[in-house]
Amino acid sequence: MAEDALLAEMRSLRDRVVGIADTALASRDGLIIRADTGDIDPEYLAAMAAAALGLGRRMASEVGKGALHEIVTRSSGGYVATYAVGPTALLVLVGDAGLDSVRLHRESQITIKNLELLLAGDGPRSSVAAGLAEPSLPIGPTTPEHPRSAVACAA
Amino acid sequence: MDLPRRGLPPTADAGPSGQDVTVALLGQALLSCAADRQSGALRVYGEPGGTVHVVDGGVAGIDTPGAPGPDVVLLRSGRVPEPGWQDTFTVAAADGRMGAELVRRGLIGSGQLEVVLRAALADSIFALMSGQVEECRMESVAVPSLLPLDPPADPAWLLAEGMRRLRVLASMPNPVRHDRDRVMRGHRAPPVGSALGGGQDGILALANGRRTARDMGFALGSGVYALTLEFARMREAGLLTVSSRRTVTRESPRDRAPAGEPAPVSDTPAPGAAGAGPAGQPAELPRRRKAAGGQSRRSQPGSGQPGSSSALLRLLRPGSVPGPEIPGPETGQK
Repeated sequence: MAEDALLAEMRSLRDRVVGIADTALASRDGLIIRADTGDIDPEYLAAMAAAALGLGRRMASEVGKGALHEIVTRSSGGYVATYAVGPTALLVLVGDAGLDSVRLHRESQITIKNLELLLAGDGPRSSVAAGLAEPSLPIGPTTPEHPRSAVACAA
Repeated sequence: MDLPRRGLPPTADAGPSGQDVTVALLGQALLSCAADRQSGALRVYGEPGGTVHVVDGGVAGIDTPGAPGPDVVLLRSGRVPEPGWQDTFTVAAADGRMGAELVRRGLIGSGQLEVVLRAALADSIFALMSGQVEECRMESVAVPSLLPLDPPADPAWLLAEGMRRLRVLASMPNPVRHDRDRVMRGHRAPPVGSALGGGQDGILALANGRRTARDMGFALGSGVYALTLEFARMREAGLLTVSSRRTVTRESPRDRAPAGEPAPVSDTPAPGAAGAGPAGQPAELPRRRKAAGGQSRRSQPGSGQPGSSSALLRLLRPGSVPGPEIPGPETGQK
């Protein structure tokens, strides 16, 4: 099923790359599609990532440096990276200070491609709106619910 | 005879001697560096892999995604407050004087700093040795260590300490994998808000089923090995439970380094490069450099050094290499 496959793909990335703490897949306007997060508010994270991606794309276009790869925020305690996923979605991930960024660059490309295919390849379910999770649903089968808290961008 | 027993669950893709190969590759590479008094960055390809900063044959620092380096330990533990750290970094990091400046500003004592540096080295070598090593390759220093141990550590001592830790874990009937087992509050964990003391509260506060001991080490600024032992104790007491496991994949240098001619490299680190980049990040284009004697892809031991795994492992037998004491997490010292 497309829903499980999206989350499975995101969890696989977290398994393959040491140091990724949280991931969220969202529409370009910041609405959550899937989230694999702990103490971070995924909706807030996605909204900020959408804004960052929009700004980043304009910046990259303005300076004429080609297609945007990723937007990164680096802090003393960690790392937030945002990627475009196809034309309609984005992937944001939060990492700690030990994030294996070299492996991330390679593995994230695979994940982004797979997510793009999953979002596009499902017939009537291909629209992003159909893939949106309801805000009140628990995040995932093994992620316990947490009270919404202010976003902490450091891990 | 003294090989670590198979107390750790076998990895999915390593043969029965996977850990022996890892230990042998890393050991031979480091001892070879020592014999030839090399300086540079020993890239360790594998999982977690990383970079060993070698100075004159000794180990000055290790960057690995598998364990927090001294900078993370000092900051996340609160030992050095963040504003003081940032100010120090601004003036001293580029010149490689971070440690001296921290001491000069009274942010940490020089003896305390040395303890932290040694403990971080031991933790990082443990992370490297308990994982998988595919290859070790000596390369030029792209990003020098931010807080180098000076004088650098004897590699034989460091390897022996790593072996000791592996043996301790291998002797446990039900060890916790620091790099795979994600932990959650157990059925005997006290309600949120009540205090247990002894560092267990910090662990329980972060035990949400998403973090391994390695993850908590980075979050708390604690050593991964010490946390692993604590996790095992807490699990025995019902305070923690392993809720999920991370599946680990191998990586080979083919995946990481681009193909191409070895380029001439200089030993001078790029100015201002000190401290840049998250732990474990090698240079964008690792370049092969012929070390003294012309190395093939696999590091060869220098003359006079043990050439076989068994000789290396005899060297690393307990008690065979005297070295400075570091506070042991087993004894409960900090």
